[in-house]
Amino acid sequence: MRKPVFLAAAAFAAVPLAVSAQTLELATDQSPAGLDPHVATAFSTKLINDSIYEGLTAIDSGLRVVPGLAESWTVSDDQRTYVFKLRQGVAFHNGEAFDAADVVFSIKRVLDEQTGSPIASRFNLITDVGANDAGDVQITLSDPFAPFLGQLASLHIVPADYVEGGGDLQRTAVGTGPFSFDEWVPDTSILLTANAGYWDDGLPKLDGVKFNIVPEATTRQVGLSTNVYQLLPNIDASIALSVQDQPDVKVLKAMDLSYSLVGMNTTVPPFDDPKVREALNYAIDRNAIAQAAYFGEAVPAGPVSPALVEWAVPTEQFGCYAHDPEKAKALLAEAGHTEPVSFTLKALGSLQLVVDISQVVQAQLNQAGFDVDLDVQELGVFVQDWKASNFQAFASLNGGNVDPDGYFYRTFRTGGSTNVFKYTNAEVDSWLDTARISGDAAERKSLYDNVQNTLACQGPIAHLNYGTLFTATRSDVEGYELVADRSLRYLRQTAVAQ
Amino acid sequence: MTTAATNLQATRSSNWRLLKRHPLLAIGLILVGTQLIFAFFAPLLSPYDPVGQDIVARLQGPSGAHWLGTDKFGRDVFSRIIFGYRSSLIVSGLSVLIALLIGGWLGVIAAYYQGVADRIIMRLMDILFAFPIILLAIGIIAVLGPRQGTTAVAIGIVYMPIFARLLRGPALVIAESEYVRAAKAIGLGDLAIIFRHVIPNLTSVILVQASLSLSTAILVEASLSFLGIGTQPPTPSLGLMLSEGRSFLTLSPWTSIFSGLAILFASLGFNLLGDALRDTLDPRLRGER
Amino acid sequence: MGRLLGTRSADLVVVLFGVSIITFLMIRLIPGDAVEIMLGANSEVTEEAVAALRHRLGLDQPLISQYLFWLGGVFRGDLGQSVWTGAPVGGEILGRIGVTIELTVLSLGMAIIVGFPAGCMMAYIRGTIGDYVIRLATIIGVTIPSFWLGIVLIFVFFKLAPSFPSIGYVPFREDPLGNLARMILPTVALGLPIVASVSRIVRSTMLDALNQDYIRTARAKGLTEVGVVFGHALRNAAIPAVTNIGIMAGYLFGGAIVVEQVFALPGLGRLILGAIAERNYPLIQAAILVVTGGFVIINFLIDVLYMIIDPRVSQR
Repeated sequence: MRKPVFLAAAAFAAVPLAVSAQTLELATDQSPAGLDPHVATAFSTKLINDSIYEGLTAIDSGLRVVPGLAESWTVSDDQRTYVFKLRQGVAFHNGEAFDAADVVFSIKRVLDEQTGSPIASRFNLITDVGANDAGDVQITLSDPFAPFLGQLASLHIVPADYVEGGGDLQRTAVGTGPFSFDEWVPDTSILLTANAGYWDDGLPKLDGVKFNIVPEATTRQVGLSTNVYQLLPNIDASIALSVQDQPDVKVLKAMDLSYSLVGMNTTVPPFDDPKVREALNYAIDRNAIAQAAYFGEAVPAGPVSPALVEWAVPTEQFGCYAHDPEKAKALLAEAGHTEPVSFTLKALGSLQLVVDISQVVQAQLNQAGFDVDLDVQELGVFVQDWKASNFQAFASLNGGNVDPDGYFYRTFRTGGSTNVFKYTNAEVDSWLDTARISGDAAERKSLYDNVQNTLACQGPIAHLNYGTLFTATRSDVEGYELVADRSLRYLRQTAVAQ
Repeated sequence: MTTAATNLQATRSSNWRLLKRHPLLAIGLILVGTQLIFAFFAPLLSPYDPVGQDIVARLQGPSGAHWLGTDKFGRDVFSRIIFGYRSSLIVSGLSVLIALLIGGWLGVIAAYYQGVADRIIMRLMDILFAFPIILLAIGIIAVLGPRQGTTAVAIGIVYMPIFARLLRGPALVIAESEYVRAAKAIGLGDLAIIFRHVIPNLTSVILVQASLSLSTAILVEASLSFLGIGTQPPTPSLGLMLSEGRSFLTLSPWTSIFSGLAILFASLGFNLLGDALRDTLDPRLRGER
Repeated sequence: MGRLLGTRSADLVVVLFGVSIITFLMIRLIPGDAVEIMLGANSEVTEEAVAALRHRLGLDQPLISQYLFWLGGVFRGDLGQSVWTGAPVGGEILGRIGVTIELTVLSLGMAIIVGFPAGCMMAYIRGTIGDYVIRLATIIGVTIPSFWLGIVLIFVFFKLAPSFPSIGYVPFREDPLGNLARMILPTVALGLPIVASVSRIVRSTMLDALNQDYIRTARAKGLTEVGVVFGHALRNAAIPAVTNIGIMAGYLFGGAIVVEQVFALPGLGRLILGAIAERNYPLIQAAILVVTGGFVIINFLIDVLYMIIDPRVSQR
């Protein structure tokens, strides 16, 4: 509908039109938890914000760092100073021009404690950020930080004037991305419309994207089969299995960066004893979980995703990954347990996959010297207990990170911001500290190998499985690509064939 | 001995005639009886461990090995339904008991004392009654945490006003009757009057309402489990089975269909029973919900 | 009667006041608050940041001042703002209530259109096998779980008539026919138990009415049986059915919560479920006040109506 004269002319010029511009109907099960890209970092929010906002850098479907709002960059020899050359002629959806001030504002906003940004710790090595005379952005780090460029992709740039003028990003979204925020009907739908002035010419191809929030799996399946919805992003294996044989439906898959896990509190019994944590690893049969909960579409998980080929230690090298209930019982006996070790496993109830996994885990542990009481919790309750370390053990699904440091440092370092397990290990701490600031890839690799080998069996997290990520679309949806980090950034080049 | 046998014979044949005259009562009794047997003897009757997983045999249709098929973990649906009846009856039975003991008692004392006590009690009940049933139950469970016990408490609280309102009416009539006045005149205590004269006269109303409430409590429990906040996995619960099975409707609709039917039969049994009890015990109540 | 009306109105205010207090306390007793859900499980938040956000949302105030603040707003006609979207909750509720009312009215309409004739029919053929069969069918109707029925209907229509628009929601003002078509299955799922219960009430009151003197007189005057049933008995039997509508409205709303969830309809029930999950206090508070207020007022009006129809009630 926009620019009708121009469109009509284009239609005449390019007969026959291969694709029709239209609004793609997408169905997902969860409502976003607010829209502020610096505060709300849940999957449900990220799903939408990835089309609205952009960072200086971006991650492509091969998990490589590519230019985003920064056209190019240079890194100083000591790897502590980054200079980003910004893209010219870019505007925010509200018409405000994008420049270095917005980048500086956004970075400072994330670092400001008042914002309460969960991603702040990814950027806590930044000592200075400013614009130089040429309009480039210069960022200085206290120490070299290898994963920095990748992490920057997650720092979305927001319009400085808009926010300073009292605009509330939690309720509306104003970015530079291919789609702009149009309408939010709570628990029902969010409508994004194409950003006509998007800097990447020819994109987006769709007129708009409507995120329908449909909690009922049956309704989503039938909706896809009857073309009410054209795309079901990031679905479980069970749903993919149900729709894959439908006519005019295709299923895309990719290795998921997210992994399922059992987290253990290392300060309360029984998991304050590393032997018990190791016993739990022996008691778990990761291949059986893959069969039962993922319908075979999963691989055993080590601390690093096998998708990160250059970092991951193969799981075959972890002794405790061999399923061995007798060994588990023996370890428990060594730890002084004569009775079955009873504990409560809190499961994140808002994800069916986690509920399924925890039932399988419970069955496995109960056959290997444990006595598990399962407590499926609603999201709000789960988050509260998780934050307060109020658990013996929990089952959950964690989003992945493209660099080991992004995950390890905050999770396993003593005092790390998401170290809710209260895990502390001086050796691991020193490896993490050294690897974080090392510019030597080989040294980092060997340090992270140590970390993985230590954490795999006696760490506070039993990594269970990396699943396969599925997305189901109508067969005429073209150009959509799955990204392992669950981002929907390829919506911009998606089109619906006529 | 002979007389006893004859009496028994007579009772039997009169029962038989009663059932023949009320075929719906017969159906209700059969359904309720079957459930009770399932619930009491679940471990003996179920062919498999209701939480035992067998991934190889997952999502199968009915067969000789699994009469009602298997669910997504390969658990035997028939065994789970038998145990499901057990948890379903425990939760709904407890909830009706709570509602009856607290709500019913409040209704009776409101009627007996009248005046200020009556007004306060009944306004409190009105407040609870103003909430949609499911919504109030969801709120209470959210506060207490989802467990079988709290589900029963939640449904019990939600049902309190029903019993309070229902018993208050007839209790009012009894409280003002001649013999209660006479009992007061001879100096009998309030509690004694309530227990000896008021409550016994309410038995039929209580029986009918308890049976009908059981029927709806089963549905409420199932709805809550369906929404994921009632009985928690892996405990077999009819609502939860239905909820878990629905993702697989296109692959294997059996779990959903059978667990849905199981809920229907459970609720139907108590409803038929309550309906028939109402017809036989108190024809005046016939037809009211 | 005027005095009675006065006390009833006072009761109404007391009830709504009580509902607001219970709602307020209950939702705040639920573990976790909006801040924690906003920040998510995968976060790296400091205590200070949580406190700052909580302060911004006014969640760090003592409960009693939060409640009084809210109550003051209600008296000024301000129901507060959604924690998540920032929109006034009054507007959010208005935007959603239409769907729920439509669903409720359609279900009630179906109940009356189908339930009355069915009830008359059952009274007419009382005691026959057909009567038992229909009675059994209506009891099954009352006890069928509506969420199950909804899923089965979606599934069956998908298998048998894939082109039937069974899901997705279209606003009435955009496409009236499309809207109504998509409301058919939800209406059936929600309304079936009501159909059954209306027909049962009609049946039993008809049976009572048919034994009354005036009916005998009508028969004696030579009116046909059908004329008797529809002309005289039905008019008198309608009263108990109508007075039950208040109770049914309550049931329908409760059922609508689950049915809206199954059919992905953007109604008030889903709004409330979502608001509870997100701890959107102002929205829950206002939505529950609207729902219970509607329920209490409908029942109040029916009481008044009943008093007018049947003056004996006033003496109760």
